[in-house]
Amino acid sequence: MRVPLPPVVLLAAISIVPAVIALPGTSMTLAGAGAWLGWLGSGLVAASLLLMVREPAFAAWFGDLERMYRWHHGMGTLGYAALLAHPVVIAAASLPEDPAAAWRVLSPAAQSWHTLLAWLALLALMAGLAATFAMRLRYSLWRSLHAMLGIGVLLGLVHILAFEGVTAKSVPVAAAALIALGWRATRADRGGGARPYEVCAVDRPAPRIAAVTLRPLAAPLTVAPGQFVMAAFFEGPHYRGCREYHPYTVSALAPGGSLALSIKALGDCTRHIQSLETGVAARVQGPYGSFLVDRAERPEVWIAGGIGITPFLALLRAQPVTRPTEFYYTFRNGVEAPYLAELRDLAAVQPHLHYHPLAMQEDTAPLYALLAGVTDLPGREIYMCGPPPLIDAVGDWLRHHGVPPRHIHYERFDFR
Amino acid sequence: MMKRVYIGFTIAFWIAVAAIWGGSLLAPPGQRAVAQSPEPGYTLQDVAAHDSAEDCWMAIGGEVYELTAYLPQHPAPPSVILPSCGTDATRAYNTKNRGRPHSPYAASLLERYRIGRLERPATP
Repeated sequence: MRVPLPPVVLLAAISIVPAVIALPGTSMTLAGAGAWLGWLGSGLVAASLLLMVREPAFAAWFGDLERMYRWHHGMGTLGYAALLAHPVVIAAASLPEDPAAAWRVLSPAAQSWHTLLAWLALLALMAGLAATFAMRLRYSLWRSLHAMLGIGVLLGLVHILAFEGVTAKSVPVAAAALIALGWRATRADRGGGARPYEVCAVDRPAPRIAAVTLRPLAAPLTVAPGQFVMAAFFEGPHYRGCREYHPYTVSALAPGGSLALSIKALGDCTRHIQSLETGVAARVQGPYGSFLVDRAERPEVWIAGGIGITPFLALLRAQPVTRPTEFYYTFRNGVEAPYLAELRDLAAVQPHLHYHPLAMQEDTAPLYALLAGVTDLPGREIYMCGPPPLIDAVGDWLRHHGVPPRHIHYERFDFR
Repeated sequence: MMKRVYIGFTIAFWIAVAAIWGGSLLAPPGQRAVAQSPEPGYTLQDVAAHDSAEDCWMAIGGEVYELTAYLPQHPAPPSVILPSCGTDATRAYNTKNRGRPHSPYAASLLERYRIGRLERPATP
């Protein structure tokens, strides 16, 4: 699935506006190119910031939140590359004439506070991005290091305004960046865009998994099976929540707007959520994602890995299966796999659904053996949800066996 | 993919910074030391003799600057700055474009290129 054209056009426009305005006033020299790279980088970073505004309508316009975040990372990284090149190219311009002057452009000691500021901005961006790419970090640490990027952006804005003053180039960059940072901080991180809910039931369908039912305290969100929400848990009678927003796939939708989330202990916060109790306040923002939403009328294959069962569970609980569907639920062992009994009962009353629970370890060969026997595999729509290594491996196998990439839909867990 | 872009550009950046720093250490020191005391005075006539990209002096705010080495670093096109070589460019400096003055940073940069005072001919 591709990103629709209008948001791409909008982002491209925002990215290049400062660089285009700067072009007529730029000399066709190395020094001019260096200054211009600063504008290009600033535009790209400003546009990338607009992509971290976690507004459901904006995410839906973009396709879905995961894709929006991928673009956020891509544009941010390219902007960073241009911003690194910016001072180096300006300095290189005077290198042949006067090497000492070239170093004075860069040296944090020789220059004024503007240059010091620019250095701090670049170092903050460097550290923040290094953390961003270190996906193995603990989430809370990762998040605080990722926030260094916000500090880098603010320092960079001061650098721009000090050098340039208030002009047609600096104002759009500063406005886009500040609006995006402010929006994200108030509407997403502080929950201004989220709705109030309350925990009304907590089940434990398997070890390390809590099935949490939330009752709306105000107008509920309209969620379709397969979509996910961002939820944070706060205080209860004996519980202190970690207050962080994390993505959870909705596993059941009930009349009246209640929704259930199946939360696996994958990090500090989700481990703490295992001891959740009824009465705890929660805030929920969303819905996000298009997985299992608006499907073509074609035979399907569903592949779930472990807790990746939740979107399929939500669909089966909500509506009957209307097209021939092969459903593979893979898990490490039957003791830890959630919802086995319920799935067996749900599948038993669906004539179009062939349900195959499958215990397997790292080796995905047993799944491939079953998939190879599916009639007209390339003509089916494939839906996968599970850990990234499984999605990647099975995705490669499917493409290798003639399934067109446009028929392969998946939801990954590694999204941050 | 983006991780590789990040690593590649970050390494290249530090190599370039180190190379420019190294280059400045190896450079002959003569070019840096300009305008030792006592500070000489120049007339506008003196300034007018240095009016090209290869030899560019400007008078700005009663001071005289030798800007030849700086010209390649200036972000505006040569067509904007070159006409000011050999003249009293105070007005151009203060109005930059659309009436905006240069930044305090520009003033600090300019200071490095000062070679003396501007002497006005005695008015009769």
